[in-house]
Amino acid sequence: MAEKELSMNLDKFKKVKGIKDLEQYDLPTPQTAFIFDFDKQEKEVDTFIKNRSYLMIRSDKENELDFCPHNLICPRTEAKDFVKKLTSKKFVVILQECISWKEDKLSGNVLTLKNNVMIELMKGGPLIFLNRDGQVDEYLKVNKKGSVLEYSGKKIIDKTDLDKILKMIKKLPPYKIVEFSIGPDWLYFWQIRDDKTAKGLES
Amino acid sequence: MGNKILLKGTGASPGIIKGRVRLVRSAEEIEMLDKKEILVTSFINPDFLPSIKRHANICGVVTDKGGATCHAAIVMRELKICYVAGVGNATKKLKDNMEVEIDGREGIVYES
Repeated sequence: MAEKELSMNLDKFKKVKGIKDLEQYDLPTPQTAFIFDFDKQEKEVDTFIKNRSYLMIRSDKENELDFCPHNLICPRTEAKDFVKKLTSKKFVVILQECISWKEDKLSGNVLTLKNNVMIELMKGGPLIFLNRDGQVDEYLKVNKKGSVLEYSGKKIIDKTDLDKILKMIKKLPPYKIVEFSIGPDWLYFWQIRDDKTAKGLES
Repeated sequence: MGNKILLKGTGASPGIIKGRVRLVRSAEEIEMLDKKEILVTSFINPDFLPSIKRHANICGVVTDKGGATCHAAIVMRELKICYVAGVGNATKKLKDNMEVEIDGREGIVYES
């Protein structure tokens, strides 16, 4: 889809905007395609699913407050039908590289405050288990100099990875939640969300 | 506050509130909460949220699991309900009708 058309549609879809917003902070994302119109973008879907056994398929809808359908480990053979079905119901489909959620990976949210960041982490993924089910294995509150102010849970992130993430998210303004996952040799960010309610958490 | 600290978790929605503990296991039980009761449960899963939104009497929430970035915490902050998340063993340590005071900014449950 033309970049201009995508930009025009973007603000209506929070998840899509949250992924696009990662670009302005140079935060790496897995390979991603947005499908607004299956008929116009069928070739794009074919190219994306080619040579992949599995895909991550998420969706987004304008003003949709309820849960948007997804299949985080969708077999290639089922992908096209699922995308077609979702777009026919006015969902925007987010096609992404599939991640296998094993214990050698960890996922987390960073919440930016004015002078500190709060970091909540879980072993493996996907982050739906943290966001919806409250599975938090480690919690840290860190100031701008990188000093840990609060800590709880079991240690699952090493200092090198923590410092790397803190450096990468330095330019983010306060009251944003940025979601990420780390594997043995990769670090991906999933989306940025606004959280104006976080003002209440300032010390 | 000066009272004995019973439990510590993550400050997920600010506010300081005193109330009686009510252990809750299902969304239906939320409807039966009295005024000045503090909802204590394993976690506020999405099924609980419609009942919480309908039920204006809830003054505070304490959960075993969760944190400040979870969906439930964001909703609690929107509704201005004081919330201590990720306490670990709140549903074991706290008993029905115990008087407690919770600090949703610092993430502390005090004896009241």
